Amino acid sequence: MLDSPPPTAVRRRLRQGRDRLATALITAGGIGVIAALLAIGLFLAVEVVPLFWPSGEASAIHAEALWGGGETAAEDATRHRWAPTATLTSGEAPRISLVPLAWGTLEAAAWALAIAVPLALGAAAHSSLFMSRRLRSRLKPTLELMEALPGVVVGFVAGLVLAPWVERHLAEVVACLVLLVPGLLLAGGLRSRLPARWREALPLGWAGLWLVPWLALVLAASVWLAPWLEALAFDGDLRRFLELRLGLDIAVRNALIVGAAMGFAVMPSIYALAEDALSGVPASLAEGAQALGATRWQTLWRVVLPAASPGIFSAVMIGAGRAVGETMIVLMASGNAALMTLNPLDGLRSLAATIAIELPEAGPGGVHYQLLLLAALALFVFTFLVNTLAELVRTRLRRRYRRLGGGS
Amino acid sequence: MKAEPSRRLRLPRGEGAGAWLAAGSVALSLLALLALLALLTVRGLGHFWPSPVELVELEGGRQLAGERVREVPHAGGDGLERLYRIGNQDLEGGRWAWVRLSAIEAVSHPADLVVVERRRWGQAIGRLSAFQGASGERIEGEAAWPALEARLAELGTLRDARDRLREEVILPLAGRNDETAARELKAAHARLRELQSAMAGGRLILATADGEGLAVPLEQLLGARRPNAMSPLDKLVAWGEGVWRFLSEGPRAANTAGGVWPAIFGTVLMVMLMSILVTPFGVLAAIYLNEVAHQGRLTRLVRIAVRNLAGVPSIVYGVFGLGVFVYGIGGRLDSWFFEASLPSPTFGTGGLLWASLTLALLTLPVVIVATEEGLARIPDQQREGALALGATRLEMLSRVVLPMAAPAMLTGVILAVARAAGEVAPLMLVGVAKLAPQVPVDGDFPFLHLERKFMHLGYHIFDAAFHGGDVQAAMPLVYATALLLVLVILVLNLTAIFLRHHLSTRHGALTRR
Repeated sequence: MLDSPPPTAVRRRLRQGRDRLATALITAGGIGVIAALLAIGLFLAVEVVPLFWPSGEASAIHAEALWGGGETAAEDATRHRWAPTATLTSGEAPRISLVPLAWGTLEAAAWALAIAVPLALGAAAHSSLFMSRRLRSRLKPTLELMEALPGVVVGFVAGLVLAPWVERHLAEVVACLVLLVPGLLLAGGLRSRLPARWREALPLGWAGLWLVPWLALVLAASVWLAPWLEALAFDGDLRRFLELRLGLDIAVRNALIVGAAMGFAVMPSIYALAEDALSGVPASLAEGAQALGATRWQTLWRVVLPAASPGIFSAVMIGAGRAVGETMIVLMASGNAALMTLNPLDGLRSLAATIAIELPEAGPGGVHYQLLLLAALALFVFTFLVNTLAELVRTRLRRRYRRLGGGS
Repeated sequence: MKAEPSRRLRLPRGEGAGAWLAAGSVALSLLALLALLALLTVRGLGHFWPSPVELVELEGGRQLAGERVREVPHAGGDGLERLYRIGNQDLEGGRWAWVRLSAIEAVSHPADLVVVERRRWGQAIGRLSAFQGASGERIEGEAAWPALEARLAELGTLRDARDRLREEVILPLAGRNDETAARELKAAHARLRELQSAMAGGRLILATADGEGLAVPLEQLLGARRPNAMSPLDKLVAWGEGVWRFLSEGPRAANTAGGVWPAIFGTVLMVMLMSILVTPFGVLAAIYLNEVAHQGRLTRLVRIAVRNLAGVPSIVYGVFGLGVFVYGIGGRLDSWFFEASLPSPTFGTGGLLWASLTLALLTLPVVIVATEEGLARIPDQQREGALALGATRLEMLSRVVLPMAAPAMLTGVILAVARAAGEVAPLMLVGVAKLAPQVPVDGDFPFLHLERKFMHLGYHIFDAAFHGGDVQAAMPLVYATALLLVLVILVLNLTAIFLRHHLSTRHGALTRR
């Protein structure tokens, strides 16, 4: 447009008209796209309405049947059951309690968080306080890659590789869990005994890296020590010990496997948000604490962590949202039996997995279809609320940092 | 822990146990990631390496020949058990054999053991006892293997000639509709029949380890090799061929053998369609939110809502796609345009179009958020400068803002593609198939068949691992497919990370100026 002739009135009007048209189109398109996105919730809500509001011959279902126990079932054990397609013998109502599915979902998410939260928070604390800048700038993308690993691959490894291995090597797994923490502390203790020259070669800032081979060594050692541990603590056979002494059933694909796999999948997103929250704490706070003689760990525990706690909370919330909705990992690693037990070695069945399995077979408009849509709506509402809560907390936190940090 | 006072002064106090546990959690995560990637790489690529075939002599004189798979502790007692893949599925007790280590008398690696890959029954393992040519002559003993190799090479050239004839002569001729074409077509068909008859006939006879005979017609034969007689270089060549065949062929034997080419094709096509759909709409919405809309409370709420939609489970999008696209729009389209073929649905069932649309919706928040971040990073002076020079808003957007935000948009699209490529759960509802006989692109009008079902790498993993008849046999291929999928996604994500890095350095320079 460098040497265009001076705009005449017509040209100007044309340009302005084009501009107005484009703005109108962008507005219409933008609103349309956002409306289409938000229509998801609306669609689910509208489709689910006939379940509770019968019109014509469609059978209404009381909320009680979904969430409470069925009146028809006599025994307590069978009160909450999900068997919508079971052939009914004597005019009994189909078992459509969503309770076991919701239970399975929450149980899987709880185990995933139990594994992911300590890992992610530990990693975030380490990387925001101790880690060298160079390693941190490499670690973030690495963990992002970990987050991007498809659920179907993680689920496959968990369900078909990890689960059978764990079933055969229960004692080894227990030994690994028991020896993990002492192994790490041993590494710290050994390092402080090393001559100064060696110690400099193994700085705490790079501990995340050089501990990897050490951990591999510790895990190998615990596998090697496992039979001895089994003989000492569990009468020589851990499996029988669990089944007889504690009365636990052991399924190959169980809640713990799901938790481990999903913890692995959820950990990076919790880490990313928690690390943001921790390193966003104004540096003056931590520096002040350290100037008063606190170690870095004390600074973290007494100053940084309380200041960042809303951010940590929102990170955990986001993680919970992801864990509740994850489909393929639960589908492949859980065995999909709708059980309601507290036993972490038993199978489970989650809402998301149930939708994935049953919706293609459920005819549109039927009760089964609407029930599955209700499950989807529950997932949608839950994750949406949790994410909004986390987002609000984070916005507030950012404002607080600005106030605390003054100019920075 | 008694240290000299001087040293105690020089060094800061220890950080205590917590610091080590925190460092350990980084190390543990990295270890898990490394272990997963190493497992996939070793098992996925190792499958194509021709493993040695063992001849095992058991107690009581029984013999078996097979590839060693793995060892586990024996279920009811002490000692180890070893699994052999012995092939020969069509014979009694074929395919797999568990052998207790204590029962093994001797293990040898005779060079003349032949592993044959067949079309129907999978592998066959045995000694080549005879080779029968097309004309019925029978070659026995040492000469049989060279004769078989020569015949296989000959068959390869014949097959190439046939395929070339089909693609270059017959297919173009079949489209034309005149006298000369019909004559040429007849000649070509005659030549084709000639080639077919030259390829027909011949078989080889294997003697299995326990002495049974097994005849394999050459038409059934996909390849034959003698792993114990191969040099490392030969094995490397065989490995390369194996990888290539895995990438370029279709699946066989209910997805437990063969390659994944249709799945690669389906994944790539679906992702391409999705990115064509998602890019303009995502960018449009981001421009609206950031540049046009009034920046008030409502816009902020909408922005939070869009961000949150990225966290809504993918299966919910799948449900939406099934309910609205497939049953709603698809069903309507069927009743309007495809009434003739009802009740069998055309668009009223899952298909390529609906899958791409669903995934586009799923990845829309990703693109919107990434583009918006890029737009927000552009300093306001740039916009104000353009407006001050007399540009209209459209000109300001298209000449100044969008070119500067282009890398951010690209990052968003790449992240969207990476997310879509790995997503399986919604596809199970809206159109993936365990085995799609027809690829969605072919020579028939309209060339791209949006209503067809397609295969997908991620679903292929799920299906082969969980619905296949013989999971044991499918495992190596599942590993290889998983490795392929992970590689694709890693490359896409690395590109996005690299772009974002590039972008932030560029904009850092921009704001400093």
